[in-house]
Amino acid sequence: MIGLLLALHLATCGLLAATGRELGRHGLLVAALPPSITTAWALTRIGADEPATATLGWVPGLDLELAFRVDGLALVMTLLVSGIGALVFLYAWGYFGSSAVGVGPFATALIAFSTAMLGLVWSDSVWSLFVFWELTSITSFLLIGHKHADAEVRAAARRALLITAAGGLVLLAGLVVLVDETGVSRLGEMGPISGGGAALVSILLMVAAATKSAQVPFHVWLPGAMAAPTPVSAYLHSATMVKAGVLLVAVGSPILADVAVWTSLGLIFGFGSMLWGAVGALRHRDAKLILAWGTISQLGLMIALLSIGSAKATFAAVSILFAHALFKAALFMVVGEVDVRTGTRDIGELSGLWRTMPLAFGVAVVSAASMAGIPPLLGFPAKEAAIEAVLGLTGAEAWLVGGGVVLGSILTVAYTARFVLGVFGPGPEPTPVHPPRPAMTAPSALLAMLSLAGFVAIGAVNPIVGPASVRIDPQAEVYDLLRWPGVTTAFLVSLAVVGSGLAAGLAAHRLGSGAPDPIGARSVDALIDGVVVGARRLTGRVQHGSLPVYMATMGATVAVVAAPFAWSIDGADIYRWDSPAQAVLAGLMLAAAAVAAVLTTRLGAALGLGAVGIGVAGLFVIQGAPDLALTQLLVETVVVVGFVIGLGHLTRRFPAVGQQWQAVRLVVAAAAAIGVAVALAGSGSSPVGQPPLEALTTQAVEDGGGNNIVNVILTDTRGLDTLGEIVVLVVVAIGVLALAASARPREAS
Amino acid sequence: MSGALIVTVAGLVGIGVYLITARSLSRIVLGFSMLGHAAVLGLLAAGGPAGAPPLAGAASDPSQPANPLPQALSLTAIVISFGLTLFLLALARRQNQITGDDLVEDDLEDRRIAAVDPGQRDYVEESAA
Repeated sequence: MIGLLLALHLATCGLLAATGRELGRHGLLVAALPPSITTAWALTRIGADEPATATLGWVPGLDLELAFRVDGLALVMTLLVSGIGALVFLYAWGYFGSSAVGVGPFATALIAFSTAMLGLVWSDSVWSLFVFWELTSITSFLLIGHKHADAEVRAAARRALLITAAGGLVLLAGLVVLVDETGVSRLGEMGPISGGGAALVSILLMVAAATKSAQVPFHVWLPGAMAAPTPVSAYLHSATMVKAGVLLVAVGSPILADVAVWTSLGLIFGFGSMLWGAVGALRHRDAKLILAWGTISQLGLMIALLSIGSAKATFAAVSILFAHALFKAALFMVVGEVDVRTGTRDIGELSGLWRTMPLAFGVAVVSAASMAGIPPLLGFPAKEAAIEAVLGLTGAEAWLVGGGVVLGSILTVAYTARFVLGVFGPGPEPTPVHPPRPAMTAPSALLAMLSLAGFVAIGAVNPIVGPASVRIDPQAEVYDLLRWPGVTTAFLVSLAVVGSGLAAGLAAHRLGSGAPDPIGARSVDALIDGVVVGARRLTGRVQHGSLPVYMATMGATVAVVAAPFAWSIDGADIYRWDSPAQAVLAGLMLAAAAVAAVLTTRLGAALGLGAVGIGVAGLFVIQGAPDLALTQLLVETVVVVGFVIGLGHLTRRFPAVGQQWQAVRLVVAAAAAIGVAVALAGSGSSPVGQPPLEALTTQAVEDGGGNNIVNVILTDTRGLDTLGEIVVLVVVAIGVLALAASARPREAS
Repeated sequence: MSGALIVTVAGLVGIGVYLITARSLSRIVLGFSMLGHAAVLGLLAAGGPAGAPPLAGAASDPSQPANPLPQALSLTAIVISFGLTLFLLALARRQNQITGDDLVEDDLEDRRIAAVDPGQRDYVEESAA
């Protein structure tokens, strides 16, 4: 079934890619089909005993496979990805008017994201997890950049891609070490690990999760991503993609829970983001940005709870994850509707909408109350579970963690109140409103009703979040969401939180506030621009267009690369010569080479080159390589003849070279020479093994049927390679002929 | 490894690098040729000491036969550097036909790219112009 559903998604991707332009915005309705079917399937899986699995061989030889496994946790994510996905497609259909352009490609990218996200949450193999993780980053980039005519939008999309893709690379590194440490590549089969490797895995995975889930200080891409059309914000940047980081922390928890750095890093990211995100939500005027910063804050709470590691906290985190997707997606949809119907999202400009947009107001109040943790909505029992979990802690960090969660919750209530008051509250003059769009209201209303139904029929929610928590921590089995916990400490704390939060929100609303400058975003942009400008500067430096300088650079590189060989030189391995004749011949040949280099006439240089070639042939003879010597003599003769034919009639003398450059050349040449000598001496000192002479001899005589081993190697053992070499020579011959035969240009004739 | 061969290879590399950093194509051809010689000799030297030609059944030669493997590799190297040298010579000749000498000029396009201020936004258009 898993394979079928993924295939259905992929087929829809293909269909929309082919026909998206003709279908226009109706493509979105076609795209809603696969998520709807997936949701229906996922609903039937609730309460299933065994997780559904599927395996797809990828590169069997490398043990690479796409392994999927839909357990309790994956099921929760599936419900969010496909359930909210189907609603978002419907919503987007209403969001884009009939005159909107570019909706076809948008629908394709959106369903492509849906596919990638499903693959991600279903992945059991770490490799498929990585591939789908990166695919969600890429599709997110495409969706953020939907209105790419705007430079601001392009910058935001680039920022999001670079941060999340960099996080993807960190994830890959972390997964490689993880597989190395555990010895298996399936997440479900991994047992707890500890030690130095585990600490490294913890850091890498936690950072990867923080980039994806927009945790401080990697959060800067998320507010910018609000440049995307609102359906995208509701879907990717609140309900699904940003939860991928939380999911990673969740599946990492059973493996890394005992590693200290995993817990502490998670708490730092989590609480830092929870508080800083809430502060950000209190400062902004753009309703969408308020929600985006609120998302950063809520994701921080989830990661912090998961990092605490107690079963109760894990259970609370999963409950909040589920509740958050419902209310946050609905709130984004409401903001999108407000945006479309009034033309603004600035809470300073909106007023009186509670009267003119009553339905949206209702949805917003219900969802916001769920976000603030007020009964009778699903957010309340989830928040209660969180507060109870931190109250249950003991030890030194209990106060810190508890205080953090309580403070964060107060701020959450505050920005929630400010959001509702700001968007819908009364003002001096009611904002004019366009006619309603039922296709936009219906999905958000349905989500709001689900927040309500989740509380009323809480017995239906427990079988969803329960198994998901058990997947992370088996001890979470005993916990259930309670509609009415009675007057417990947690309830009293909740009461205080809501009370003080409402007061703070009211105060913040009265105070008003200017939109702060996106400092974080700007510094990231400056960093990216700096890299680009630096790259251009470097290109200008290294690609200067002068061939001699390129050559000198290569010569100098040889010297540098060879330097480390100096440490492996062993004097005992180096003897003076194989025979005195070798030394004499070498001396003569070097002299000839030096003469060829300094002679200023071309003919003289050519003769010097010939002398060097003959000297090399002589050295081949001494080395015991008659075939090489013969070839060398033949080749050298042709080269000298070619030199004389080709250049004999050239201006006789070489042009002079500037003094400074001459000095550089000499230095580089000397450095390269020393480098090569060092490399040779150093590499010669570590013989890897004796040449397999006997084997080669046997092979030549018995397989090749020849006595000359070198010839047999060339014509038989590696005959195909030699054929390729002949082809190269033929190509060269054709090139030489073409160049030689081409007519002289008029100026020259 | 034979010290004489090390010195020879190093010397040829030095002279080769010196020659390929010239502006005249004929000198660059000379330089490539020298580097080719150096590479082949280096390969042979790394393969082991000098010896008798590696012929099967030539038992009359008392000395240890030389390693045949680097020789087979070297033959390829010789032939390919031969092809390269001839092609460079043909290019030099053609260059001479067109410009009257065989000097390699700087690439003007690259110079222009290097001259544009890398900080400006219309960088691409500027350097493409």
